Amino acid sequence: MNKTLKRIAMATSVSVVALGATPAFATGTTAGSTINNTASVNYQVGGVSQTAINASNSFTVDRKIDLVVAEVANLTTSVAPGSTAQVTTFTVRNTSNAPLDLGLAVTQQVGGAATHGGTDTFDVTTPATFVDTNGNGTYDAGTDLAATFLDELAADTQRTVFIVANIPLGRINGDIADVTLTAQAFEAGTAATQGALVTQTAGANTAGVDTVFADIAGTTDAVSDGRHSDDDDYTVSAPVLTVAKQSRVISDPVNGTTNPKFIPGALVEYCIVVSNAATGAPANTVNIGDPLPTQTTYETAFGIFQGGTYTGTPGTGTCNLDGTAGGTFSATPPTVSGTLGTLAAGATRTLYFRVRIN
Amino acid sequence: MFKLMLTIAALLLPGVALAADSVALSSTVFVEKTIADSGGKAKVTLYEPKVVTPGDRLVFILNYQNRGLAAANNFVVTNPLPSAVAYQGTADASAEVSIDGGKIWGILALLKVADGPSKWRSARPEDVTHVRWTMKQAIPAGAQGKLSFRGIVR
Repeated sequence: MNKTLKRIAMATSVSVVALGATPAFATGTTAGSTINNTASVNYQVGGVSQTAINASNSFTVDRKIDLVVAEVANLTTSVAPGSTAQVTTFTVRNTSNAPLDLGLAVTQQVGGAATHGGTDTFDVTTPATFVDTNGNGTYDAGTDLAATFLDELAADTQRTVFIVANIPLGRINGDIADVTLTAQAFEAGTAATQGALVTQTAGANTAGVDTVFADIAGTTDAVSDGRHSDDDDYTVSAPVLTVAKQSRVISDPVNGTTNPKFIPGALVEYCIVVSNAATGAPANTVNIGDPLPTQTTYETAFGIFQGGTYTGTPGTGTCNLDGTAGGTFSATPPTVSGTLGTLAAGATRTLYFRVRIN
Repeated sequence: MFKLMLTIAALLLPGVALAADSVALSSTVFVEKTIADSGGKAKVTLYEPKVVTPGDRLVFILNYQNRGLAAANNFVVTNPLPSAVAYQGTADASAEVSIDGGKIWGILALLKVADGPSKWRSARPEDVTHVRWTMKQAIPAGAQGKLSFRGIVR
């Protein structure tokens, strides 16, 4: 016997009552199980051991309804205007001591503080709940199925639930939509069928298993109402583009390139500067079209350069002549077109070309 | 659901020529709830175990009485914990507990539990499998007493 086990010897008759292995309880003793307590007395009379005497009592464990909805990752979902099937992720856990069907519902906040800061400013469209059918924790379109309830969720188990919604077009950078997932206890029992709403046993204790609501208050639900809720939000992340156009005279027929003036016949360089704000989302396929003033003529010999860098504040800084030749010129009406590709947040790119004043 | 059952086993061993000695033992359980009264002070009340759910606190009370004509000595009351109840202690300093199904007994603070290979940790209340009281003195005829311990529904 290990020395660390302290044994206190007692000069008495000892009663040892065999007991089965203690099962592990995670959520709690299963509803309907009986707790039976038996005590025994061993004693002697006149030095002779007497038959042990037992006393016992028992009671039934009632059903405690408890459930927890929790947002996963605790981060807003960044979305683009007009995007579809945008996902927020939750876990829904049955912490009752009995299996349940858990009904799922989405509600949208109207105004007020959103869960990850900022103010709710819009509603997503067609929000629906999907269950993580393949259990990988990530929404897989076509694999994870839409569901309005979690079927036969055993005690102390959880499922991942997604809210999948579309984002309206026209929302601007920083717009927030707060969505709340509420789970509610329904009776389990028949697979693939949502049971009746669980109700708390009213009034006095009954001989059978009673039902007690023990859930805490969630984002939009009250304590002990058989429901729990949590919210997450979508934040619109759109590019914030600004465009500036500046011109400088390169040469004129009188002064050449020394202090040239904007006189007829002068060669003028136009630089179109496009910037995406540091808070903006990347802008893809940024195209530029610039109709030329009728008093100017496109300088074919110079061409069009796009994707150049810029130094200084757009409009007053310097257009660095480091672009790549490209773009197109259309004669009727005279228009210069080009593309800047993808413009990352905080990036500034230019398109420049030359014209001659008529 | 509440059921109280008192079982008194055969009182005498065969061949023991003594008067009709008997000891009575009863076991009752209550749910202990702490509810704030109108003044906001916490008030602990014991209820019959009508509505019992996991996490509820229980108080087990054992009443014993020597109804015989002679003193009972070497009087030991043993209560194995129901598997669904986590032990939460007793007010009686004389109580001993076992954490291994009744093989080894001692006071909780001195018992150790294997915690991985060649590691031991101090036993915790929820490790307790049995609790027992050993009366140092004989229980005189007619005397009675009460023992209690606390538990939590797992």
